[in-house]
Amino acid sequence: MNSPPAIIGIGRTRFGEHFEADPEDLIDEAGLMALESAGIERKDLEACYISDYLLQITSKMGLEEGFISHLLEMNIPIERMRSFSSALMNACHAIEAGKYDIVLIGGIEKMTDRLSKIRDDLMLFVDRWSYYSGGTPESHHELLLREYIRKYKVNGADREKLMLTLAHISVKNHRNALWNEYAHFRREIDVERVLAARREERKTLGTYDFAPISDGATAVILANPRKAKEYTSEPIYVLSSEMATDYISYSSRPYRAGFIASRIAMEKALKAAKISIDDIKLLEVYDQSTVLEMTSLEDLGFIEKGTAWTKLYENFKDFKGYYDLDGREVYVNTDGGLKADGNPLGATGGAQIFEVVKQLRGEAGRRQVKPDGDLLYGCVQEMEGFGTKVYIHILGREKRE
Amino acid sequence: MSSEPMERRVAYIGDRLKGSRCPLCGNEYFKPKRYCGKCGRKSLGRMEEIDLFYEKGVLETCTVIREPTNRFMKLAPFIHGIVSFHNGKVRVPGRITDVIIGDGEVNLDEFEGREVVPRFRRRCSVGRSDIIPTISLAFTFADEYYPYQRYEISQPNKEYDVPGIVGYGVYVSRFRIKEVGMERSVPFIDEDAITAAVEAGKLALIHSGVDSRRIGKVYVGTESNPYAVNPIASKVAQVLKLGEDGADGVQMVDAVDTEFACKAASSMFKDAVALTFYPRDPMEYVMVIGADNAQAAPRCEPGGELDYFVGYGGVAFIFGKKDVIAEVEGWCSCTSDTPDFWRRDLEPYPRHGGRFTGEPAYFKHIIKAGRKLMERMNLKPSDIDYFVCHQPNPMFPAKAAATLGFKPEQYLPGIYVTKFGNTYSASSLIGFAAILDQAEPHKRIMVVSYGSGAGSDAYLFVTTSQIRDKRAYQKFTVKYQAENKFIHYIDYATYRMFKEGL
Repeated sequence: MNSPPAIIGIGRTRFGEHFEADPEDLIDEAGLMALESAGIERKDLEACYISDYLLQITSKMGLEEGFISHLLEMNIPIERMRSFSSALMNACHAIEAGKYDIVLIGGIEKMTDRLSKIRDDLMLFVDRWSYYSGGTPESHHELLLREYIRKYKVNGADREKLMLTLAHISVKNHRNALWNEYAHFRREIDVERVLAARREERKTLGTYDFAPISDGATAVILANPRKAKEYTSEPIYVLSSEMATDYISYSSRPYRAGFIASRIAMEKALKAAKISIDDIKLLEVYDQSTVLEMTSLEDLGFIEKGTAWTKLYENFKDFKGYYDLDGREVYVNTDGGLKADGNPLGATGGAQIFEVVKQLRGEAGRRQVKPDGDLLYGCVQEMEGFGTKVYIHILGREKRE
Repeated sequence: MSSEPMERRVAYIGDRLKGSRCPLCGNEYFKPKRYCGKCGRKSLGRMEEIDLFYEKGVLETCTVIREPTNRFMKLAPFIHGIVSFHNGKVRVPGRITDVIIGDGEVNLDEFEGREVVPRFRRRCSVGRSDIIPTISLAFTFADEYYPYQRYEISQPNKEYDVPGIVGYGVYVSRFRIKEVGMERSVPFIDEDAITAAVEAGKLALIHSGVDSRRIGKVYVGTESNPYAVNPIASKVAQVLKLGEDGADGVQMVDAVDTEFACKAASSMFKDAVALTFYPRDPMEYVMVIGADNAQAAPRCEPGGELDYFVGYGGVAFIFGKKDVIAEVEGWCSCTSDTPDFWRRDLEPYPRHGGRFTGEPAYFKHIIKAGRKLMERMNLKPSDIDYFVCHQPNPMFPAKAAATLGFKPEQYLPGIYVTKFGNTYSASSLIGFAAILDQAEPHKRIMVVSYGSGAGSDAYLFVTTSQIRDKRAYQKFTVKYQAENKFIHYIDYATYRMFKEGL
């Protein structure tokens, strides 16, 4: 990347249930906040990349580009993607190519209006043959956990430790969200609560192991780095924007104890950003379940495969707010992650970017992390489907030449 | 509303579990692929078609689904997981069927690693006016009720002068209800007359060793097709690949459903025999299936008395002239307009005309057809080794047999109504199959069906020496299904729920 694009503005709504709001209302709120924080006018926008995963089904809305155009009262190019990271990646490409100087990236989702009606469609999208044999959005996570247990022979007392570790992940993310004013859930839970839900529901993974589905919107203003300096003294650079894919059918993938696409995208992203994994102290992972926070740490290369459960188990004995990985401090999901911050699919990645930008700028308030040494970089992992598309963005306060 | 083309595409692959194998590197795929990812263009156009329909898999990982998607609500809770075939060369997602998961804790370790057999079932619930979705991504454990059996096509050794039965299969579900001194088979919630017909046909192919491509016609006799219009026979032909199959998914076979209450299948035996015997263009083999999941009104409603007797099951016979196990010696049918049992269009449950039941209907026709056939063939009851007739309840067949002059040792081996209930078009034929399961060579068997409406078909069969040889190919015998230690007994409420289906 010759001159990495710069984030100059961010905005988001609270995640949760927005009974009163239409999707347009949500993106309007997030978009205005981003424009305001960037100190730019609507008229400065040259293009817009928006994302939503399911709006056509949940809200019976197609042609999202049209209502964004209507809101902005502008006729600029607008394209719709399915995830925020996808929109951000495409926006980066355009800016790097010199096509635009300033663009808006927006994410919207309105999941709760038709909560029960979208389960079948959601599963058909994610993995249709699994759906045909009774699979659910949750069953994939449980099967991945069973595969992990099987592959790495986690049995007996170790199995209990693993399940306890997953509960701690949920507790940690809920605690992180306490100081996140936009989070879907802002209440502390304890390990017993997570375990009790599993028992009561008679499931391997219970309610507190899964991210909710939420309504919400997020927005980012991305600029050419030369242009960025005109608006802010503290741009946050997108040092790398990479993605990898995997087979739609989870059962057909050769590796099923995690996501190969995470590993591939991360390797490319580190190379592009010219940094090492040791430089990353701040990480947002796509924790649709507690299992995915654990396996993502392995997939992304922070922990050796098959050992995350024991590493994290040791960490949770006396948790300090970050994972101590052989002397390295890694702060994970400081906003509460998908578990507690919420998961409005098309907008979720925007909240992850929002958090990393806030932290890198030192504006995260009571959530602000203070690792040993400077906090220079943050990494965001976002997905579409069940590890089917994995996006990695590495953000930095400065470019490494 | 479902999409018919989508449903058919899914069923076309999913009913049979079709895939591909690369002839160069051996990579396997579910679903079919035109080239191998490893060998690329070299494999293009050379991929071999495989299917997992007759294979055995291993349940690698699984979980309990207690909160299913909307269309799977009636199946929950159930086990869903990943099944591997051919030592992990290919994997598919799957649902474990024929297991009732209670509210208690489930130890997944008990399920993982066990061998499973694909089963053809209904896929999920749909609207009452939609196409019924089916799939074979339903599995049962190979070490439980339904054993794994290879389908091996064998080259015939011997051609007979006259046609007869070359193989047969009986399918009765794992679930039973025990009431008033009788056991009755109950379909699992994802079973119906279509799935029983396919299952029976599959078992008959396994038993006979007949190449499914050599079947010229299939008849499915039933009175409980879940469709008013749309044959079961077309599904059977497609799933079992009867007749030569083209790349366009069309099977070169004749297929038709027949209906005449409980004699819908037995009636077609003579048609099947005739087709294999037609001198100008004989068919090599013809399959006749009887399958029923008969409806019965709740007990408090008119017709509710049937609810004490209905069973569920299917039976299939393959007729031909090669490697015959029982030759057809003769037949005799009779018919009269006697509506003793009927179901008007759009009515969910049949009615039972109490006035006609028994004497003027069942006994009159069975005895007439049976006597006439003995007369014609110049036989006395003592010349016949086994007798079996339609079994709507435990009393009737014994009384009919005795009236015709048969002794208990001649008719008791074929009585299975006390184990399976009345399986309608499969009823007398399952009894017949039970006799074939144990008969020595050169034994004479008389079968008399009865169909309300009314009529009876009487047949005489004589077993051949090959009946013994083929027994090795069928573990899933009538007795095995009647006295299996994995039979699951359910209560009345569960029975009604299963019977209502998806």
